[in-house]
Parts: sequence; structure tokens; C-alpha cells
Amino acid sequence: MGTQTFGQPATADPGWALLARVAAGETDAFTVLVDIHQERLLRLCERLLGDAEEARDAAQDVFLKAFRKAAELRPQGQVYTWLYRIAVNHCLNKLRRRRLVRFLRFSDPADEEDGGVSFDPPDRGADPAATLEARRRWQATRKAIEKLPAGQRAVLVLARFEGLSYRQIAEVLGITEGAVESRLFRAMRRVEGAQEMNASRVPRKEGLR
Amino acid sequence: MNRVTEMELMRLLHGELPSDRASALRARLEREPELAAALARLRATWDGLELPPAAPVPLGFAVRVAARAREEKGRAISWATAPAWVRGAAAAALALGILLGAGAGRWTTGEPVPAEPPVAAQAQEEPASVATADDFASSLLDDSLAGSYWAALDETAESGLTEDTPASTGGGGDAL
Repeated sequence: MGTQTFGQPATADPGWALLARVAAGETDAFTVLVDIHQERLLRLCERLLGDAEEARDAAQDVFLKAFRKAAELRPQGQVYTWLYRIAVNHCLNKLRRRRLVRFLRFSDPADEEDGGVSFDPPDRGADPAATLEARRRWQATRKAIEKLPAGQRAVLVLARFEGLSYRQIAEVLGITEGAVESRLFRAMRRVEGAQEMNASRVPRKEGLR
Repeated sequence: MNRVTEMELMRLLHGELPSDRASALRARLEREPELAAALARLRATWDGLELPPAAPVPLGFAVRVAARAREEKGRAISWATAPAWVRGAAAAALALGILLGAGAGRWTTGEPVPAEPPVAAQAQEEPASVATADDFASSLLDDSLAGSYWAALDETAESGLTEDTPASTGGGGDAL
């Protein structure tokens, strides 16, 4: 935690000037805005949705929403906070939709291998055992995150994988720091339970071989 | 160990505990092995959360998104700058379409629709069209009421554990 790569005061954030140009209809300014924030937003969407391809579509939607809303904005806080908020809401909506579709199909996410998400981990080098082990850990994490309620999932992803402080998360989600702490605590408890269950399953599977 | 202490441990782990409280907690950690074990457990859970590196940004992503924005802007401008009679005609065509659609059922059967069909008939009736689960999900989620429902559901799910927001909201303290 505490990786605050973009904690500048509102006045120092050049993003607002850029947004003003976007609002005036300058699409070149919009290209620059996307260029600045694309890496973070794509990563956030991928962490929340668990799928790189879906994340690309989501990030594009987020930027287009920002483009449409640019004229309505007043410089307040940080541009990234506003973009993160749009992204989190958009992704959580997508997740709810996904959950509802599963419910209507009477399918249990636990029945789907890898929690319904396929991973394509990059080649980490020569050691296949290490790659397999890393893949197992990633899948366990993804499953644990998928089982969290939307609010807890957002807080956990922002804290663990985006390195945002409690204050920054509170700004992004529009909640209090106390609520961030409380959600994170509950998320950690659930994840701990999932990790324990996962750990107790692994030796049993190996014993069957 | 109570929940407040566990939350303090979590704040300490995340570097979110003010320095005076962090020092006090560290002193307790040296004296209380149970507390130290709880912190170790929290740290293991936190460190155990790993995901693969994110996929690289697709080549030309920003340019493609900007092109889409330009397209949207072009459509909006052409509509806004269309002559008033074109916009009026489009609105009239839309209204006529809706009216025709609503009356289509009666026109095709040639019979008046009964006010209330018999119960047996209701039971045997087949749906006119079968929507996919995705369509139905979309229709529900597009409804703001459904949005509130899901938000409430999330909150309920979250409050499955004891609900207790601490009064303290210190920040920017020492990490362990």
C-alpha cells in the first residue's frame, strides 16, 4: 500500500486543462487523455473483470463516457479519481450483469473451471513447475475475488493491485475511509477463508494421484 | 482478539496507522504472541493475493478510442444541425411506428382482445418470443430500480459479517 503515484493537488493536475479542451471538442486532446490513462484503466478493468478482452471493451466504454461527460465536469479533485470512478462503476455493472445471467441459467460459478475466467499467463521462463504453481496461485486469487460482493471486490482490487491508499479509495468510490477499512477487513476475512479451503483441497487432490 | 484490534493490525500492515498508534501496537506485538500470530496470518493472506501481470496496452488503442469518439461527435453534430423539418419527420415516423406496433396484434387476429383470458388458457399460453438470459439481464439492469436492488443486495451480502465501522480514520502512518 501507499504507492501513491498520482496524489497531486487538484490545481497541479494538468488533466483538467486537457479535459477542458476535450469538452471544447478537441479530439486530439482526447487522444492525449486516453494515452495518459489507458494503461492504468486497462489494468484496473482487467483486475476487476478477470478477462483482458472484456477489459479492453470496458476501458473503451469508460473513455467514451468520459468524452461525453467532459463538458459537464467541474475541476474538483483529481482527473484519475473521476476516471477510476467511471471505470469501477462500469465494471461492477458488468459483473452484476454476468452474475444475473448465471443466475438465470441456473449455473453455479463454482462449477465452472477457473471461476468462468480463462487465464493466459505469460511465459515466466524455463521452469514449468514454477509456472504451474504461479498459475495455481493466480487462479485461487481470481476465484477468491470473484466470490466477493461487488463493493468489497472494488476495495480489495484498488488496495491490493492498484496500490491506492484508504483515502484515495474513499475518493474513488465516494465512501468514507471508515467504510473502506470495514469493506477491506470483511474482504480479507472472506479471502482468508477461501485460501484455507483451497489449501485443504490441494493435498487431498495430490493424494489421489 | 476483538475486531477493533484486528482492524488496527490491518491498518498497520497497509501503512495506514498513524505513527503514535503504530508504535503502541508494535510494542504490544512484542509482548503478545497471539497478536503477532494474527498479524502474520493477515500478512500471509495479503501476500497470497497474486494475479498475473496485466496484458500490455493494445497497439493503437488510444487512436482507436479517439476515432470512435470522433464518429460519435460527427453523428451528434449531423443530427443537431439537421433542418427542423427532418427532425420533425423523424419524430412523427417514430410515433407512428409505436402506434402501429401497439395495434398490430388486434389487426392480425381481427378479433377484439378479451379483457381477461380464462385461467386454463393462461396456463397453456406460450410466450410470444423467448428472450435470452442476457436480454433479460440487460433489461433488468437498465432499470434504475433494479440497480438499487443490486446495490442493496451487495450491502446485505457485505453485512454478513459483523457491521462495525471504526471511528478512527488515521492515515499515512508507518508500514511495518
